Amino acid sequence: MSFWWSAHKNASGARCRPRALDDLHYHPSLSARLKSLAASGDFPHTYALLRTIRHWEEDTVTCTLRQLFGPGVEKVKIDQCVFLSPLKRKIEVNIVQSNFHIEITPSEAGNYDRVMIQELLKEIAQTQQVDLNAKQRFKVVIINEADSLSRDAQAALRRTMETDMSNMRIILCANSTSWLIAPIKSRCLLLRVAAPSDTEMQTVLTRVARRTCFDLPPEAAQEIIKDSGGNLRKAILVLEALKMQSPDLSGPLTIAKPDWETYCQKVAVLVVTKQTPARVMEIRTKFYELLSHCIPPTVILKAGLTVAEGIVSQVDKTLKAEIMHWAALYLCAEVRMRIGSKKIYHLETWVVKVMSLYKQSFYQFDISKFE
Amino acid sequence: MSLFTPNGLLGSSSLDKPTEPVPEAPPLFTLNGYLGPLSASALGSSKPAEPPSFTLNGHLGPLSASSGSSKPLESPAAPSFTLDGPSSSLAGPSKQFTPNGLLSDPQTDVRPTFTFTPNGLLGSQDDDDDDLPTVAEAFGIPTTLPARAESAQTTPEYAPRFSVRATTFDGKTMYLKRKPKVSHLNRTKAPLGNFKERMGNLLDVPIHRLMEGLSVDTANKLQEADRQAAASASAPEESPEDTLWVDRYRPRQFTDLMGNERVARETMEWVKQWDWCVFGKTKGKKRPRDDDEAFDAADEYHRPREKLLLLSGPPGLGKTTLAHVVARQAGYEVMEINASDARSGSVIDDRIRPALESGCAVGSTKPVLLIIDEIDGATGAGENACRPGKGRDPNAKRPILRPIICICNDQNAASLVKLRAHSLQIRFARPADIHTVKRLREVCEIEGLKADSRALTTLVGIARGDLRGCLNTLQFIKSRSQEVTEAVIRGATVGMKEAETSLVSVLNSLFTPLTRKRVKELALTEADEKMYVGRLSREVDGCGRENSIAVGCFAHYPTLHQHDANFSRYEKANEWLVTFDMLSASMYSNGGDFALNQYLPYTLVPFYPLFKERGGQRVERSQADWESLVRTRANEEIYKSLSRCLQTASTRRGGDFRHLVSTPILQLEFAPYINRIISPPLRPVNSQVIKPEERAVLTRLVDIMSTLELQFYQERAEDGQLTYRLDPAIDVFVTYDGKRTADIAVSRYAVRHLVAGEIEAQLISRKVDIVERAKRGKHDFFGKPAAKNQDQEPFSSPTKAAEGDAPGPPNKRVRTEAAVVDIADKPPTDFFGRLITGTSLSTTKAAERKNVEKKYRVTYRFKEGNSAAVRKPIKMQAFM
Repeated sequence: MSFWWSAHKNASGARCRPRALDDLHYHPSLSARLKSLAASGDFPHTYALLRTIRHWEEDTVTCTLRQLFGPGVEKVKIDQCVFLSPLKRKIEVNIVQSNFHIEITPSEAGNYDRVMIQELLKEIAQTQQVDLNAKQRFKVVIINEADSLSRDAQAALRRTMETDMSNMRIILCANSTSWLIAPIKSRCLLLRVAAPSDTEMQTVLTRVARRTCFDLPPEAAQEIIKDSGGNLRKAILVLEALKMQSPDLSGPLTIAKPDWETYCQKVAVLVVTKQTPARVMEIRTKFYELLSHCIPPTVILKAGLTVAEGIVSQVDKTLKAEIMHWAALYLCAEVRMRIGSKKIYHLETWVVKVMSLYKQSFYQFDISKFE
Repeated sequence: MSLFTPNGLLGSSSLDKPTEPVPEAPPLFTLNGYLGPLSASALGSSKPAEPPSFTLNGHLGPLSASSGSSKPLESPAAPSFTLDGPSSSLAGPSKQFTPNGLLSDPQTDVRPTFTFTPNGLLGSQDDDDDDLPTVAEAFGIPTTLPARAESAQTTPEYAPRFSVRATTFDGKTMYLKRKPKVSHLNRTKAPLGNFKERMGNLLDVPIHRLMEGLSVDTANKLQEADRQAAASASAPEESPEDTLWVDRYRPRQFTDLMGNERVARETMEWVKQWDWCVFGKTKGKKRPRDDDEAFDAADEYHRPREKLLLLSGPPGLGKTTLAHVVARQAGYEVMEINASDARSGSVIDDRIRPALESGCAVGSTKPVLLIIDEIDGATGAGENACRPGKGRDPNAKRPILRPIICICNDQNAASLVKLRAHSLQIRFARPADIHTVKRLREVCEIEGLKADSRALTTLVGIARGDLRGCLNTLQFIKSRSQEVTEAVIRGATVGMKEAETSLVSVLNSLFTPLTRKRVKELALTEADEKMYVGRLSREVDGCGRENSIAVGCFAHYPTLHQHDANFSRYEKANEWLVTFDMLSASMYSNGGDFALNQYLPYTLVPFYPLFKERGGQRVERSQADWESLVRTRANEEIYKSLSRCLQTASTRRGGDFRHLVSTPILQLEFAPYINRIISPPLRPVNSQVIKPEERAVLTRLVDIMSTLELQFYQERAEDGQLTYRLDPAIDVFVTYDGKRTADIAVSRYAVRHLVAGEIEAQLISRKVDIVERAKRGKHDFFGKPAAKNQDQEPFSSPTKAAEGDAPGPPNKRVRTEAAVVDIADKPPTDFFGRLITGTSLSTTKAAERKNVEKKYRVTYRFKEGNSAAVRKPIKMQAFM
């Protein structure tokens, strides 16, 4: 089995995911660049900056690794690693590693990512590559979700990156660099992996379809691509879901949005249509529902914002300035939400703010003057 | 007469060592036959409880007369007296006993018990003798022993014959000289001549010392009297502050208890119910009535049903006092442990359990009553330690035979959970203010405080009925002035505990302004009332549960019915909540910066000016936040198990899906789409007759699900309907507000049944595959599906086996293939409405297996000890 996306084998035994840089069907220039870097033997620290969540960076990274070390990197094993937090709490994290690289996701350790970074990296940095046949003398550490690293963890990373350069290279994968501290940025080579273009995505999708022995109608592909917004992983998952739901992929396609997204949209509509305390309560229960489904609050906020923005701009074209204001609010709320622990407060704050703004602009004057 | 020459050694030596009179005593005492009292005093000195002083022995006729004895003087003997005892005996080699000054000394000052006990020598009646509690009598020597006056006059050689052997409690043997009964006859010619000699014998302390001691005693007495007089005269002025008023006016008797009469009576009643058990049958209630609920008929000890009494109530109402008073009144010795004692298991073992088991404390004859004070303060180990003491511990089988009273403030405290079931709970309520005020006024009168009742009422109001607090405040006021007015009270009670600080009460005071009554109680001025920040922040701080308060505020504020046109107040409230969250988050993250803690209450106070509302609905504790938290936890668990499944699958597949596991992707992309992927619109038909394209979908579905270890488990719903449950229950992620999204077809029972069967088969074949691979795949026989089917059965999981067994009846009917096909389309009930769940594939398989077994019957025999054997995997085929 497997998902087409990550998939390995399907009925015909073909491979869908790219394995070498040459197989990457998109970003040819990036591939070329990485290839030359890997060949130079002096691979720098890298961070792959990836625009938003929609990307495909894992493949870029894995292909680069393959270029560096050969097929040995594909023999990975997943280990569970236990750390002791300063308060003697046990933290379990999963580590993917091969002989040549190790892949960690520090956000699994929550607040204790600093401990994880320190312990793991020190250990790796201080051991030399034992495999004499290895192409490179260093190991590569891939840090996923580097933008969720806490400040402490990033600080812990700084010195290690410099001193143990001989044994280790680090690849940070992040969606944005804004949460990376400047010292780290300056130590890294920045690679930006852009979202694939529509044509690139179409190539990939048709390829996937061909490998799984069916024909993807181009209009369906277009539909999927439009919906995915440049997120190739999502596009392929959608394709697979569609294929399962209606095997022939014919007729009018209705691409299902993820349920949480639909729900967020409902919430946004609620915000805009009526502004009363009762509505605030209603929206609150919806937020609770979303949060209990483990949807990250920033995502909720953002989805809500997008929809609300859309509605408002439809209703009133003159509200562009207000929309900017909301965006600012969103940013403000997001930053606070990262710090705070009780997400529901922040969400509701945002809702109340928006309601109040909306009311004011709707009545075209500032009510507060009358109070 | 002259036989008894005073040697001086006798009296002194015998009295010098009063504690060990035993060995020497007999010869010494034999000297004079009349020394009953002396020996008694010698014995008495070994029993410190009753040190006899000034024991008059038998020769003091005149003395007794002089000291007001009503007995007539019969003998003309010279007035003589012997003062024996540990400290005093009159020196007397002098032959003439002139009454010396000592006589005039008031012997009444000294212990009255033994003074002037006239012995037989004096009285004319025999019964005088009997009045005297001689030691011999005390030790139970038969009085019928011959005792003659002659014997008294015999030589010491005879003496042992008349001495009586007795054993003290210590185990020492002592010989007692029997005091002879003196007849009238020889009493008159009593050994008057002996006087002088004996007097000499009895003295051990020189007379001047005696005199000195007496005068010192007298002086002390006088001083004492003076002091007392002074004290009683000046009591109101300066009795002061050596005792707390609280102690001074503590109730001593049951009738002193104030307020809460019902509570007091109930407590007493409960304690009295123990009488049968503690004091025995006779003392208890006449007969426990059968309908009396408190009695446990099955209990052989007739104890009350609840073995514990739990007194609870706010502080200062006299719970501890009540317990002590009641215990004392009921005749118990109180044994108290409170929070200041270590309440560890060792204490229980060392002190409490022995006391409870033996029934009385050390050195006391009263039965013990255990009071565990401040029991809600016991936490952790203490709480556990308390339990064995309760005697319900299974390994401490001994029943608890003495009453235990537990006292606490908060009867809902977590540490009491286990006790509550076994205890009679008595709740202290605040007594009516009028009683408290009355008692306070009495106290004020006694103490000379001028208090008007309004001031006292205010005081009681502020203290919320806490009598102890009131008394302390009054005493405090007293140290400064004699007047108690409202102003003074207000000044003295600043910062006194203002309220019970439960969560709900804090929330209520945040959302409702003070009531008029409370304002009056607290005696706040208008200006004070407006200054809410200090008051509220203190209250919030006192509660100590800022997070819960914040949640409560958050839950409550939108329910208020205040007009808020542009949400300005909502905005502000939320801003404050956010500030609160930021502060508390930074407190707890990064190792904790608890210096911020003191500012937290202030971020919640703004709810008061924003939302205060007179007569608004009371704040209820909202469960929404908690429920959401619980649901989040549950869903997180599901995500966790899903990601575990993904991980194992990706390990098996070379780490290919590992990126799906990372946090936002799993929730945002994978979870919604995997649900769609695993619910294709399959028709519920048998897998044998399925269309090829559907077959492909089914295969793929099964492939995915078995790789991810997603499974359908059969379950019986409450209404008896069988359902298939997805495990891990990832379908919650497409269920919002209890509804599934419309675009995913609801998968029918039959479909799930089909899929479940297929998954099972797939898993089994995979297992077989692994086994095969281990055998280096020499034989390709197992690759055939038919053989696979046959081999699967032994491996099948218990659910499947159960499935096969459960539906007994329809087995025969469904043997045929046609029936099976039909069933797949049907809901899971047969024609008669019975469930026919297991009848499809597996049953036929089971049937098939039976056939198989008939065909090839193989028997094994294991030959033990054949060590030369070579172990080698081999196929059953080879045996056929």
